Amino acid sequence: MNTSDQLDAAFAALANPTRRAILAHLARGEATVNTLAEPFDMTLPAISKHSRVLENAGLITRGRDAQFRPCTLNTQPLQVVANWTDQYRHIWDARFDVMSGILQTMKESNDE
Amino acid sequence: MNDQQTWVKIQREFDASIEDVWNMWTDPEMFKQWYGPMGMSVPIAEMDVVVGGIRKVCMEMKSPERTMSMWFTGVYKEVSSPSRLVYTESMCDEGGTIISPQSMGMPEGHPDITEVIVELSEADGRTTMTMVHVGVPEGSAGGGGWNQAFDSLEKLIGQSK
Repeated sequence: MNTSDQLDAAFAALANPTRRAILAHLARGEATVNTLAEPFDMTLPAISKHSRVLENAGLITRGRDAQFRPCTLNTQPLQVVANWTDQYRHIWDARFDVMSGILQTMKESNDE
Repeated sequence: MNDQQTWVKIQREFDASIEDVWNMWTDPEMFKQWYGPMGMSVPIAEMDVVVGGIRKVCMEMKSPERTMSMWFTGVYKEVSSPSRLVYTESMCDEGGTIISPQSMGMPEGHPDITEVIVELSEADGRTTMTMVHVGVPEGSAGGGGWNQAFDSLEKLIGQSK
């Protein structure tokens, strides 16, 4: 993934309080999905789904142990988004791309 | 994150008049069309574009699981049509009450307001826009929900190193 895709995936994954809480838990060390589910009033499949979103965003990795597959925090994508100014720059750039398109469309319809 | 930049500056040139670009920021119906990129939408934008006037914006992010709404409010500090606009931004609830960093589970002392400064100038029918989004330092007036979220993430990174 390039930086922009990575930001999109990490941003989407982080836009959820449960997933941020899971990351906070994993910052203290690896944990199984069962352990991660304990503090939440959620079903195991729901927590598994959250952990898959985090895994797909590259924010966590799963172990090879077939039975437990413990989750481990992967900090590399977090470093990309940790600086809020990088995050905001990404958002503003995307916004201004849209703004530019609208202004172009307005101009073309005025010129007709 | 004291050694990091606490502001974003972006300059763009548009093939448009200065009035059209100004309206992008100050006409709620225009604003809604561009302010929600990356899978987000802006269902509500209320703007009282006078000095001291209040703004309130709702951003929605739909995922297969649920729709997440984020509300932002702020105050217009400078309104010099069509060349300069300054407003503050804070996370708030649906009623417009600013959400304190503490209530979001963040440590005390985090800034909760950011400031957006837009400057426009026109030459030869083209408009140059300079946007600065600044995190106002702790104790004065600046920040934003994501700011706090990322501050806490940065602490996470620190813990796991």
